[in-house]
Amino acid sequence: MRVNENNFIQRLQRKKEDALEFVIDTYLPLIKGVTHKVLAPLENDGMIEECINDIFISVWNNASKFTGGPVDFRKWICAVAKFKSIDYYRKASKKVEVISHTAAELQYGISAEDELMIRENKRELVHFINLLEPIDRNIFVMKFFLGLNTEEIGRELGLTRASVDNRIYRGKKRLYNKVNPGGHI
Amino acid sequence: MMKDVYELLNEMDINENEFEEMEVSEIERAKVKRALRNAITPRKKRWTRNTAAAVLAAGLSVIMLGMTFPAYANSIPGIDNIFRLLGSERSGLFDHYKTYSSEMNLAEKESGITITINDALFDGETVFLTYALESDQDLGVNPTLHGLLDIKGANGLAGSNQLTRVGHNKYVGLVTGTGFGGEVDSKTANVKWSIDSIVNQDGKAAITGDWHFALKLMATESMTQQINRSTEHNGVTVQVDKLSVTPMSFILYFNQAVDQKLREQWEAVDVGIKVKDNLGHRYTGQGNGGAGDKEGYNMNWSKTFEALDPNASQLIITPLLSLYDYTSENHGSMEMTRDGSVEEASKERVKAKSRQEYVLEDIVIDLRK
Repeated sequence: MRVNENNFIQRLQRKKEDALEFVIDTYLPLIKGVTHKVLAPLENDGMIEECINDIFISVWNNASKFTGGPVDFRKWICAVAKFKSIDYYRKASKKVEVISHTAAELQYGISAEDELMIRENKRELVHFINLLEPIDRNIFVMKFFLGLNTEEIGRELGLTRASVDNRIYRGKKRLYNKVNPGGHI
Repeated sequence: MMKDVYELLNEMDINENEFEEMEVSEIERAKVKRALRNAITPRKKRWTRNTAAAVLAAGLSVIMLGMTFPAYANSIPGIDNIFRLLGSERSGLFDHYKTYSSEMNLAEKESGITITINDALFDGETVFLTYALESDQDLGVNPTLHGLLDIKGANGLAGSNQLTRVGHNKYVGLVTGTGFGGEVDSKTANVKWSIDSIVNQDGKAAITGDWHFALKLMATESMTQQINRSTEHNGVTVQVDKLSVTPMSFILYFNQAVDQKLREQWEAVDVGIKVKDNLGHRYTGQGNGGAGDKEGYNMNWSKTFEALDPNASQLIITPLLSLYDYTSENHGSMEMTRDGSVEEASKERVKAKSRQEYVLEDIVIDLRK
């Protein structure tokens, strides 16, 4: 049976290589767009290439965790691409002094403390996010994994900036207490 | 149940209109696919090829390379230097190969499939042939060519062949071969390449034919420096014999010897090398396989690296030692004889300690100018 837009998800989950090829053919232009938007300022084409490969490898390795149809798949692969690109961006920003925390903070609303926490406590962060109620869960995924700023998050979820900020503040307070009991922000 | 990042992302209802598509060329597409295919395919196994005079063990890793192809310039657009294109994954290993290769344009058409050798290069050790394959039927993602590359005078050969799809029913590839033993001439290579079938890995029948090429290649200019320096670790001696420098590459020849005690402990011992120069440049390289005793403990290897930095005055060679026991995961072998018969055998034993790795002391060599 040939791979097509109706069966590619199932075939991908069954580790059929032609499905991966189909996914590359279909989504590479989109994935390239997402990674370039995030990583182009670093002027490192090798890193963009590496990141694109990494995105498809992650999609291949984690396909079994995906549920939904082609429309959801498109959203998922975009989210994975954004997540990976932001991850690469953060790692690179850490290495290059010039585009240090400040730039990351300005562009993606991630403070130095946030970054440290993402780097060192990703597992706890994921665990913590799992405990949140749905709306806060969305906010945290958007902020920490997709690099969206408060305004963008508000737009996505139909909330005011103040409300998003407030929820992030409260959530972070709980989170830091959990990750670092006795510490403070 | 605890969800991981990918599941959390799956739940997000993000507005994907925020993302814009970018234009992607056929070459980029092919490159991503190749990188992915490499990443998701298990490591190549050890192969042996049996010949009348010698048994050779070849540590084989697949080279991926492609080709330029003037005769096909119209049908495979944008592909003018695939040596460079495909080498970029390996830190520019093949960046300068195109310049020093000879244009061949030898085409053979059989059973609706045209194979054309485009560029050929012999660096004194290894023969590189880039080729294009154009078919009147779909051959799938990953077809394989069955046949033999032969170098006159060699008792055995280690090599690789990789084919990459670049368009509809169009593929480009590179076949390499390094001859061992016998009367291998380092100045001239008389090469024969015959292909008797092409197998579509997607499960369709093989296409048979007789694509046959014969060519004579003069070696590119090279300078050889004897090294003869060794380092020892826990029963394994690694010696770097010589260095050969060509305009587009350099080749290091080294050997390994394993003492009796270690042989009793481990089923296989492999030595690899990592190389950098005194200016800090790291060379990636590509192993050419090697030949030695039947058990594979005492082996002569060579490895080809990208062009040497002309300003470098020293090479720092770090030998890497792998000790392992065969498991069904890492071992299988195939014997191929000149009459074309193929036998496959694999060991199905699994042991708890299956692998250990060590980094040996550096061997630093001063480059002769």
